[in-house]
Amino acid sequence: MASRDSLGEFEHIIVLALLRLEDRAYGVTVRQEIELRTHREVSIGAVYATLDRLETKGYVKSHRGDPTPERGGRSKRFFRVTGKGVAAVNRTRAALESMTEGLVLIRSYS
Amino acid sequence: MTSPADFLRPPRIAAWLINLFAPAEDSASIVGDLLEEYSRCASRSGVAFARRWYWRQTVKSIAHLFACGFRGAPWSTAAAVAGGFLLLRFVSGLPDMLLSAITDRYLAFWSTHFPAYVWVLRAMLPAHFIAITFVGAVVALLAKGREMVATMTLALALCGLIGVALMWVGMHRPIDVVWVLLSCADPFVIVMSGAIIRTRRSAAVTLRSGG
Repeated sequence: MASRDSLGEFEHIIVLALLRLEDRAYGVTVRQEIELRTHREVSIGAVYATLDRLETKGYVKSHRGDPTPERGGRSKRFFRVTGKGVAAVNRTRAALESMTEGLVLIRSYS
Repeated sequence: MTSPADFLRPPRIAAWLINLFAPAEDSASIVGDLLEEYSRCASRSGVAFARRWYWRQTVKSIAHLFACGFRGAPWSTAAAVAGGFLLLRFVSGLPDMLLSAITDRYLAFWSTHFPAYVWVLRAMLPAHFIAITFVGAVVALLAKGREMVATMTLALALCGLIGVALMWVGMHRPIDVVWVLLSCADPFVIVMSGAIIRTRRSAAVTLRSGG
């Protein structure tokens, strides 16, 4: 069933952030990109929990960078979207477009 | 007065809490990411603002990590919690039974050595908490990588039962405050055992990876 392969709202946002950031995508940049574009405060825990879930589904892959001093000697974990992830984004976007097509998204309060 | 070192040192308790709740494989990355943003935030907006930001991130992150930790392995976590519950029923009464058996067995001895009798009675409470610590440690060991999720779930279930028991007791007779305090201490001890096991495991992982 296609619906099992489509992305949830936050998963969708995360994958789009990864696609925007390309090879600069790690926890900090992903979180900041989402805050910048959606104007909502996002926790780093929510970002990692979603990225782990997406990795389990095979939509993203991760690798570790070198440890850096400004991070207390801890390495960055970089993420990138897989082909399966791109297909899932396209499916989700197509489903959203299909659902919103022809709708007037302005509600009058009378 | 803020020293330059404070720019790089986030709130210790918050960093410890993040370490406890983050999955072992993500822990270093999450703490590193927070430290990187904290340093930038402190130099841009001041240490007080950065510390508030760090705490806000910690609280929100813990809620997500706890929920995802449970969703990630619901059956193994539930099994660890159920096992802990059964063990709790079996183990929590053991120290009292053992020490009561000793006091009953040597009644003649206590009549001539009363201070020793008092000492044995006083040992009941620490022995009870040692037993509860043991249960918390077993649950944490069973739920490898999800120590805090399992011990906190068990503690929350216990809190729920204590609440129901309190309501029931309250309807039938006056509530003994000492009994209430002792009952509420059990969930806290279980969570602390989970925290100890998790901290020791994280330290062992860091040592192995040479960090």
